[in-house]
Amino acid sequence: MSASHATLGQSSGQQFELSIGRVPLRLNVSDARVFSEASERYQAFATSQEQPFAVYLMNSFSANGGNPEFAYDFEAQQAALRAFSRESQFVGANNPYTLDCLLRILLTWMLLPRAGFLLHAATVVRDGRAYLFTGKSGAGKSTVASLATEGSVLTDELSLIRREDGVWRAYGTPFWGEFRAGDLNVSAPIAGVFRLMQEENNRVTPLRSVELLRAMIGNVLFFSRQPADSQRLLNIISHAAQELRGYTLEFRKDRTFWEALPA
Amino acid sequence: MSATANRALWQKNPILAWRELDGEIVIISPNNSVLHELNETASFVWKQLDGRRSGAEIATSLAAQYDVKPEDALGDIETLVEELASRQLLVPADNPSTERTE
Repeated sequence: MSASHATLGQSSGQQFELSIGRVPLRLNVSDARVFSEASERYQAFATSQEQPFAVYLMNSFSANGGNPEFAYDFEAQQAALRAFSRESQFVGANNPYTLDCLLRILLTWMLLPRAGFLLHAATVVRDGRAYLFTGKSGAGKSTVASLATEGSVLTDELSLIRREDGVWRAYGTPFWGEFRAGDLNVSAPIAGVFRLMQEENNRVTPLRSVELLRAMIGNVLFFSRQPADSQRLLNIISHAAQELRGYTLEFRKDRTFWEALPA
Repeated sequence: MSATANRALWQKNPILAWRELDGEIVIISPNNSVLHELNETASFVWKQLDGRRSGAEIATSLAAQYDVKPEDALGDIETLVEELASRQLLVPADNPSTERTE
């Protein structure tokens, strides 16, 4: 549902439905300014699907008779989330930055039963396949993205990976560097995951599964402290490390690195 | 022998996530997302550290599996246990019922 089709909720304000990585969400926002900013920011991800997971932006948590299945306190922003089986409550999400952070955190948890995770990586689609370039800040994610063809970058910062029907796919996300919002809500099967290293010459070196696991673990976005959630995440990433092709990519800052990538 | 290695029984820290990948155990701690990797023999020992089997029992299994002397195997296990315990990957088996099976 786009901003122009927004409806007024019965008791919780306006609603905005979106889908990120095929995870359907319905934001319930009482603050008109926050609603306007959110609906504009996530416009490319607006959709209407069956049974979206409700997210309530509130001033304080409401008792709903149970303990949350996932909780996170975002102390730097004086915000927090509590997630239950059918809904999540955000407190303190009174600006676009905090709302965006809480959405990322919520997604890390919601992706677990969907065989998915968020990875600090740029995703570029070429010939219908997704190339993921992972690394810490400064590794070159945004550089790689800036050297890609316009319209082929699904994100330059935070990639969403899911296994669906036996295929690992990368999805476009609204989560870009420098707090820019993405606008490509599409996906592509993953060709490979490349650990970035800026060098003077281009070179690609295959990674063993455990090396790819190590490369991804260090760049996964994850917040749950529940042992069961950690085990699920490790299982998902281990599975990905076994099935995906991983490489170290030494690259220089020009378009020639594409020629070094495996077909 | 150190005090760590002298403890009779050890178990995997129940807060950890671990799994076998390409024949080797990988472990992550939810507290810091640090990845720990064990080689083949350490992985063999890890899988048997269940809070019930003693070091001597595991050494017997290890010796049979890798054709080494049981006393040498026991020494290696004690060193390994001490290192894993120092990383808080192992905890004393005060409550063996908390052991998670993979």
